[in-house]
Amino acid sequence: MKVKILRQQSPGSAPYWETFEYDGPADNSVAGALDYINYHDDIINADGKPTTRIGWECSCLQGICGACAMVINGRPALACETFLRDLKGKSVEIRPLRKFPVIHDLVTDRSSIHENLKQANVYIGAYQPAEDGDHAHQYAAAKCLKCGLCLEVCPNYVNGRTFFGAVFANDCYLVASRNHAEGGRIRALYAEHFGKTCSKALSCMEVCPMKIPTLASIAKLNRKKG
Amino acid sequence: MKDVLIIGSGISGMTCAVRCAALGVHVTLVSPFPSERSQSVMAAGGINAVLPGGEAGDSVQSHVEDTLRGGCGLGGEKAVKGLCEHGGEILRWLESIGTVFSVDDRGRPLRRAFGGQTHKRTCYCGASTGKQIVSALVMEARRFEAAGRIERRLWCCFHSALIRDGVCHGAMLYDEARGGLEAVYADAVVIATGGQNALFGKTTGSTQCDGYAAGKLFMQGAELKNLEFIQYHPTTMETPQKRMLISEAARGEGGRLFIRDGGRKVYFMEEKYGPGGNLMTRDIVSREIDAQGGRAWLDLSFLDRAVIDERLPEVRDLCAKYGGIDVTREPIPVQPSVHFFMGGLAVHLNHETNIRNLFAIGECASIYHGANRVGGNSLLAAIYSGQVAAEEISGRTGGMHPADFSGDVERERRLLEKSMDTQSAFPVMYMRDMLAETMRKHLGIVRSEQNLAQGLSDIDYDLSIAERIRYDASVMPYFNFSLTAILTLARATVTCALERRESRGAHYRSDFPQADGALGFATIIAYDGGSYSVRLDKERAYES
Ligand SMILES: Cc1cc2nc3c(=O)[nH]c(=O)nc-3n(C[C@H](O)[C@H](O)[C@H](O)COP(=O)(O)OP(=O)(O)OC[C@H]3O[C@@H](n4cnc5c(N)ncnc54)[C@H](O)[C@@H]3O)c2cc1C
Ligand code: SF4
Ligand code: FES
Repeated sequence: MKVKILRQQSPGSAPYWETFEYDGPADNSVAGALDYINYHDDIINADGKPTTRIGWECSCLQGICGACAMVINGRPALACETFLRDLKGKSVEIRPLRKFPVIHDLVTDRSSIHENLKQANVYIGAYQPAEDGDHAHQYAAAKCLKCGLCLEVCPNYVNGRTFFGAVFANDCYLVASRNHAEGGRIRALYAEHFGKTCSKALSCMEVCPMKIPTLASIAKLNRKKG
Repeated sequence: MKDVLIIGSGISGMTCAVRCAALGVHVTLVSPFPSERSQSVMAAGGINAVLPGGEAGDSVQSHVEDTLRGGCGLGGEKAVKGLCEHGGEILRWLESIGTVFSVDDRGRPLRRAFGGQTHKRTCYCGASTGKQIVSALVMEARRFEAAGRIERRLWCCFHSALIRDGVCHGAMLYDEARGGLEAVYADAVVIATGGQNALFGKTTGSTQCDGYAAGKLFMQGAELKNLEFIQYHPTTMETPQKRMLISEAARGEGGRLFIRDGGRKVYFMEEKYGPGGNLMTRDIVSREIDAQGGRAWLDLSFLDRAVIDERLPEVRDLCAKYGGIDVTREPIPVQPSVHFFMGGLAVHLNHETNIRNLFAIGECASIYHGANRVGGNSLLAAIYSGQVAAEEISGRTGGMHPADFSGDVERERRLLEKSMDTQSAFPVMYMRDMLAETMRKHLGIVRSEQNLAQGLSDIDYDLSIAERIRYDASVMPYFNFSLTAILTLARATVTCALERRESRGAHYRSDFPQADGALGFATIIAYDGGSYSVRLDKERAYES
């Protein structure tokens, strides 16, 4: 199988495509395949030329930390839970997330996600849950990996300067539900950085690896209350 | 004290940061990646705490006894008492910062039974306890970040501590984004870097936990403790990318272990230990599977489908996703795998190491678990240790004039540059893989003098060439400069296993299969310019 990767040596340098021949286990995930290619003493590309190890980020290797988010055959996904057997064709094309600056190859700097949440003061403060708190929804929202896949796919998310995307909406919901008293302030922030721009394309929900019900978060935050 | 530098932003590092900030100490919180990527998010099962209205007959005393028994006499009594006494308070605090626990209809945390405990006292958040706690802590930390009291430094790795005359004044960090070494001064440094998975390559845990910080600090004079005690989880599924943990709940719900003998299924655990055999403690089950050749099958297929769907959905999904296995029809192939490290940096009750103003918390510190950890106690310990260190640090007077380390930084910079020039047949990543192979082979579930000695000599060879290894420009510089300290930690671990000539808890020696009452003390290992000295902590110096 051919693995084609959009590479970039360092933050400022020019990206380029490089292809590798993968002859490892067929039931591997994309993460496993990257690891397999990188494992050898000397790395050889599909043209038989020696090259450098492919940079990519991982931690849990089981779909619960969000480190390995990348674009695989045009679809934003987690490499450690995307399997070669499920991909169509004899080659796979991998590129880094486009909405974040590249650090090295497939490693991107997603700190804007955290910066935006910090700037907007999205935190619970005093715990004062609403009486009718939806426990299952809160549990789901707190599973967010901050992987950025929802931002990658969103047509309205550009660089995170004004519109903060689904990841922000879900954290806002979590705070509003866990601190009733903060509800008003959080709803205003939500409207400013999400509500007024979201065009409900909802592609964010399709790619979300944790299946977070963003639409339900939106519905609850849009409800006039508090 | 005014300034603290915390290395590692998993549950222990964040807890310490939040508590320090609340007590008015300014925090610099360092980790290469955000907290969402830390191993802490992987903890699934739960966190132990004795709460009012808990199971009849349960008490803090009973939690203490279970923990000490699990630790086979090596867990410090005072430390464990402190840990267990604070369980309830910690749980209430976690709730107050927004952790979404699984609760009953009156809003009280639900509890499940976990191995090695006399009562049901493991509170949980569905199947993602660690993740839910991390999410709450991230929000709480964000509150202090917004107020300027916690400053996060991402893309930064620990390089070494700034130590002079037995006192720590800060740490050297390597900034991967900016590409350089820098000295960060602080009144206290807290190490919260997790376990040492990378010694063994693929484990159940995160690839980020490599033990480098513990290894480097050891080389700088910090003492390590109980390294030989490594918990193997009996049921993990091997996949091309990692060892996937198959939760103990699978056996808790009735799952049966067997091996095949020709066409016959042999339920070896039940044959040897009776009907409860499948649920023996982790070390026993791991050892029995090892004795059967290291592989077994875990069968759930006979269980009611509803039981699997309702109580074991994560096990069902994990096996389907990563193993292509339908657990309702076929058994799961399982093997024991390295899972948790009881050993690490030796710390006193206040979590300070033998170096003044250098603290260690969470899985990288060794204090509560003795020779074996009881499931659900490590999350509790990660939080409790973070709080203890924070209280200690905030209560001390700081502001000592920092020594000048600019010469040291310059020297390290030159060394790093020099290492980039090295040419050799082996790149660094290859050496890491070699080490993992050595450790798996020679520091397995069953150990012997001969096997360990071979492991030691393999690591000695690796160490003898480590400084001449090819610097791999295409991986993070951290991977390059961390090699020697990781090898040194591996060597220390094998040395401790060699020295403990008995079997106790997770340490099993085929040449000394019984526990020896005279050896019921923690192992302490120290390093001095290439020589390793091991002693038993008979005076219990670390229990004060
Ligand atoms: C699959 C699995 C399931 C588990 N389930 C449970 C459970 O149910 N209950 C329980 O109590 N325990 C459980 N555990 C154990 C528990 O999760 C850990 O012991 C605990 O989370 C450790 O937290 P920590 O803060 O010490 O470290 P970690 O969460 O590992 O965090 C370490 C931090 O240090 C950083 N770091 C590492 N090296 C460096 C460096 N050189 N420089 C800078 N930063 C560095 C990392 O990036 C990370 O931020 C489980 C473990 C695993 C693997
Ligand atoms: S909402 Fe989903 S896709 Fe977006 S960051 Fe969170 S886990 Fe990732
Ligand atoms: S490595 Fe954690 S989600 Fe892929």
